[in-house]
Amino acid sequence: MDTVIALELMAGLRMTLYLSVVSGILSLIFGTLLGILRVSPWLPLRALAEGYIEFFRNIPLLIVMFFVFAGLPFAGIRLDPVGVDYSNSAIVALTAYTSAYVGEVVRAGIESISQGQVEAGRSLGMSYVQLLAYVLLPQTFRMIVPPLGNLFIALTKNTSIASAIAVQELMYKTQLIESRTFNGDIYFVTGLIYLVLTIPLAALVNAVERKLVIQN
Amino acid sequence: MIPRPPTSRPEWRLPGRSVNWEPWLAPVGVALLLLMLPFVFGLGREGGMELANFEPLFRLSTLQFLAFGLVWTVSVALVAILVSLPLATLFALGRLSGRGFIRWPSIAYIEGIRSLPVLLLIFYMFFRLGSGQLPFVSKDALAVIIALTLYTAAVNAEVIRAGIVSLPKGQFEAAQALGMTYPRMMQSVILPQSFRRVLPTLIAQFTTVVKDTSLGAIIGTVELAQRGRIVFQGFRNPLETYFVVAIMYFVVNFILGRISLRIQRRRKTTPLPREVQEKLFADEMG
Repeated sequence: MDTVIALELMAGLRMTLYLSVVSGILSLIFGTLLGILRVSPWLPLRALAEGYIEFFRNIPLLIVMFFVFAGLPFAGIRLDPVGVDYSNSAIVALTAYTSAYVGEVVRAGIESISQGQVEAGRSLGMSYVQLLAYVLLPQTFRMIVPPLGNLFIALTKNTSIASAIAVQELMYKTQLIESRTFNGDIYFVTGLIYLVLTIPLAALVNAVERKLVIQN
Repeated sequence: MIPRPPTSRPEWRLPGRSVNWEPWLAPVGVALLLLMLPFVFGLGREGGMELANFEPLFRLSTLQFLAFGLVWTVSVALVAILVSLPLATLFALGRLSGRGFIRWPSIAYIEGIRSLPVLLLIFYMFFRLGSGQLPFVSKDALAVIIALTLYTAAVNAEVIRAGIVSLPKGQFEAAQALGMTYPRMMQSVILPQSFRRVLPTLIAQFTTVVKDTSLGAIIGTVELAQRGRIVFQGFRNPLETYFVVAIMYFVVNFILGRISLRIQRRRKTTPLPREVQEKLFADEMG
C-alpha cells in the first residue's frame, strides 16, 4: 500500500471520527431532552416526544440524510457554505436520527427507577425539575452507560452513510481509491480500520456492563 | 378523620409503567409530529414545503412508481431474513459449541460482521460480484441481498443463541436422559422451543433489515429511496417527496413492530436478557 492511499485513508478516518464525536455529543444533549420530555406529566409534550422517537426509529438514516442534504436548501436552510463539503448536513442528519435512540434509552433509564424515589422526592417538597436534576437523572446516567456506548458504536458505523452525500469520510475515500485502482482489497483495509474503531469500544462497553451487573 | 392531601395538584408518576401504559401515545404522537413538520419546513410561508408540490406525489403513476419500490424493499428484507435463519442457527450453535475450533470462528464471524457498517459489506459484495451479467437479478440487487443476509445472520445468531440459553437446564438434561443424540436433541427439543421464544424478536428484526435495504440506493438499486430521488428530480420537490417516502417506510416498519409487540404480549414470552436487548437496539440503529 503506498503512502498516498494511506494518507487518504487517514484523512477519511479523521472525518469519520469528527462526525461521530460531534454528532455523538449533540445527540446526547438532544436525546436527553427528548427522554425527559417523553416522561413529562404534560400529555402533548409526552406525545410529541414519543412521536419523534417512534418516527425516527422507523425510517432509514439515508432518507433523513437525503432530506437534509437535498431538501433543506429548498426551505432556505443552507447548512454548508458553498464550496465546502456537506459535513454539517451529515452531522444534522446523524444527530436527528441518533437523538431518537438516545431519547428512548434515557426514557427507559428514567422509568426503570422505582416509583418510591419519585414519592420520596415529592415528599421532600421537590419540584419536578429538582426531582429530575437531583434524583432521577443522576441515577439514570449511571445505569445507561452501556446502552449509550452501544449506540455510540452504531453511530460510528452509521457515519459511513454520510458518503452518500459526498462527505469525505472513510467510506467515501475507500470508494475513491477503489474506483481509481480497481483493487477491491482496499475494502478489507477499511473493514480492519472500522474493526479497530468499534471492537475496543465494544469490549469496553461489555466490561462496564459486567461491572454494573455485579454492583446490582 | 385523617386529613387527605389536596387533590388539586395531581401527583405525577413515572408514565410508561404497566399501570398506565399508553399504547395510543405513539400513533397520536407521530400523527401530531407529521402534522407539525410541514409547517416547520415552511408550509404557508415563502419558500419550503408547499401544498402544490404534494399534488404530483399523489398522482396514480407516482404512487405506483413508489409502491413498487416499497414492494421491492419488503421482498428483499423477507428474502434476507429467511435465508439468514439457517445460517444464524448454525452460528448460534457454533458459538455454544464446546469445541474451540468451532466456537472461535463463530464468535469471530458474529462479532466481526456486526462491528462493520452494512454499507461496507454492500460495497464489498458489489465489487466481488465482478462485471458479468446475472440471470435473474441485477448485480446491485444481489449485492444488497447477500450483504444483508450475511449481516442479519450475525445479528439473528445472537438472538437465537439467547433463545437457546434462556431455556431451563432441565430440557437439555431430559433430552440427554432419553438418550437423544445432539442433533436429535437440538432438532426436536431445543430449537423449536427457542424459536417460539424469539419469534417476536425475529419479526422485530424486519424493521432493521427494511431500513438497511435503503442503502442499496447508494450503489444504484432502484428501490424506494432511489425512486424518491428520481421523483423529486422530476418535480423539483425534495422536501415533499422525502417526507412522503419517509412516511411510507414508517408505516411498514411501525406495523411490523406492532405485530411483534402483539405476539410478545399474547404469548407472554419472557423478554430476552437485558444486554442482548441493548445490543439489538443498537443494531436497529446502524
